[in-house]
Amino acid sequence: MKNRIMTHIVAGYPNMKECEERAIQFARSGIEFVEIQIPFSDPVADGPVIMKACEHSLKAGTKTKDCFNLMKRLSKRFKEEKLETKLLFMTYFNISHKYGLKKFCKDAKQVGAYGLIIPDIPIDEESHEGYLKECKANDLNPIQVISPITPDERLNKIGKVAKGFVYCVSRYGTTGAKSDLNPKLKTYLGKVRKYIDLPLAVGFGISNRAQINAVHKHAEIAVIGSALIESSSQQSINLFSVGFDVEEDF
Amino acid sequence: MKSLKKYLINKGGHFGIYGGRYVPEMLIPIMEEMEEAFYEAIKDKEFLKELDDLYKNYSGRPTPLYFCENLTKQLGGAKIYLKNEGLNHTGAHKINHCLGQALLAKKMGKKRLIAETGAGQHGLATATVAARFGLECTVYMGKRDYMRQRPNVFFMEQLGATVIPVEEGGQILRDAINAALKDLISNPEDTHYLLGTVCGPHPYPAMNTYFQKVVGEEVKKQLPVKPDYLVACTGGGSNAMGLFYDFFDDKSIKMIGVEAGGKGIKENKKKAQHAARFETGSVGVVEGFKSYFLQDEDGQIKETHSISAGLDYSGIGPQLAYLKDMKRIQFTYATDVKVLEAYKVLAKTEGIIGAMESCHAVAEVIKLAPTLPKSKTIVLNLSGRGDKDIFIVTKKLKDKKFQEFLTQHVHEK
Repeated sequence: MKNRIMTHIVAGYPNMKECEERAIQFARSGIEFVEIQIPFSDPVADGPVIMKACEHSLKAGTKTKDCFNLMKRLSKRFKEEKLETKLLFMTYFNISHKYGLKKFCKDAKQVGAYGLIIPDIPIDEESHEGYLKECKANDLNPIQVISPITPDERLNKIGKVAKGFVYCVSRYGTTGAKSDLNPKLKTYLGKVRKYIDLPLAVGFGISNRAQINAVHKHAEIAVIGSALIESSSQQSINLFSVGFDVEEDF
Repeated sequence: MKSLKKYLINKGGHFGIYGGRYVPEMLIPIMEEMEEAFYEAIKDKEFLKELDDLYKNYSGRPTPLYFCENLTKQLGGAKIYLKNEGLNHTGAHKINHCLGQALLAKKMGKKRLIAETGAGQHGLATATVAARFGLECTVYMGKRDYMRQRPNVFFMEQLGATVIPVEEGGQILRDAINAALKDLISNPEDTHYLLGTVCGPHPYPAMNTYFQKVVGEEVKKQLPVKPDYLVACTGGGSNAMGLFYDFFDDKSIKMIGVEAGGKGIKENKKKAQHAARFETGSVGVVEGFKSYFLQDEDGQIKETHSISAGLDYSGIGPQLAYLKDMKRIQFTYATDVKVLEAYKVLAKTEGIIGAMESCHAVAEVIKLAPTLPKSKTIVLNLSGRGDKDIFIVTKKLKDKKFQEFLTQHVHEK
């Protein structure tokens, strides 16, 4: 895979057709992972850009089912074009809970999901919800999200259940809120690697090529979310073009 | 189960299938730190002594338990007692958990308090304790609540707090909670989120219940007999838990929670005309806890409506969901119209102007008392006084003279 990057779309933003096109372009430019966010009315971990995109999508009438259909079409298209990009669902636990967790995981696998990113289902609730168990039963990677204040003991616990890769939030805050990288990134990721033997993805606040390069010095995967929500397709493609290292801010 | 009381403040934070701590990883260490500090504090005699002193000398506790002789006579049924939490400093029961949490925040070395508020009562109480303890304070308030509870915004600002109107979503309480959680995620080290009800991730439901239980404990001492019924309005549920808690282990005492019936139990796909979670809600996981929520078939949270900003919330505390399932608390609702009637009745018969929230409980008591024999006793929690509702009530009751005064006042230079 030439571009060890994970990008993000909010299903139904700015509309179903355009976000689908966007995902296809991401895949064609060799992006390794694309997160498809199923919009939720109360997205606690998201900053203003993604929050507004979710609100917009829901107002336009996006249903959970539509998001599954979107992934289904994308998976089919990727297969036809022999694109290796992997798709993930990102959402909040209530969406999967209301859908029925078992069915949610089964259907996600069926439409081609590589994994799920659900930030508000911590490992501590496993005995109550069986989220990891359902992911395992359906061969989905439950992507764990960790933060700079996650203590060692917890990293150890998370390391034991993590699969696929681990999403390391680079700093405090919600998605997209600031534009600088955490200067202590190296120390932070070093600590994470003591407990977790998986590729690390670093996200939150990444918006230009220089930052992507900086992340790639310490982590396998760079995550660009909010910055792409409002940028044009061409701007995004420029950002991902390999060898493209002009520092361009969005 | 041996003691329901013990279970409802258990260290694990689960109440049957409800409760829990469904928060992003970033919040986990913060919640764990708070949990540890809280369970330590309530074993610390010094902490409890200080809290007790603040309850007494700062807030004015114990609040009176008043026998509503006129109302009892007029309704001709059960004896009605009113726990007047409106006589607390800042005008409502919210000061109880604010004092507890501020003391805890101080102990944890936090420099800043943040809070969400609906009616503004919790925000006001938070701004008050922040001033008292020398802490910085930011209060989030849905834009709509900000507009309809403007007097409380003024007072919070006078107390030195920054009040931020939240423009997202339906611009009410739940949007303010979301904004406050985001602030906490961004400032995990120096900030304590003083959540204002028995909702949210563990330890909030247990902690606020603990700090509110003083209400029922006082009632037990003040009431000459054992009560037969306890009645409280339920938004998130803090005043209900406060009144009920000390009586949970006595199964002969009936408890009634009154939700906001708004314009009646009607709703479309996006918006409910009420906030009666137990009427049309279902189990969900939102804002860090599992409980009943008003939501659509996809799990999208619905907007709500109530005449009272404090009950205008799509979720309810997890302990209450558990107690409803096990039939320990019975839930009902009161519509805006009935609440306004109750407001007038209480003012004219007893000379007490209640908060719109609390008048939901009054409305239920007016319905319930005449159906019971005179030998029975009802205690209702008047969780707040009605000063803050002056503009809403003026509008609803179409008080022309006062509206003229307001218009004049605005134009005066």
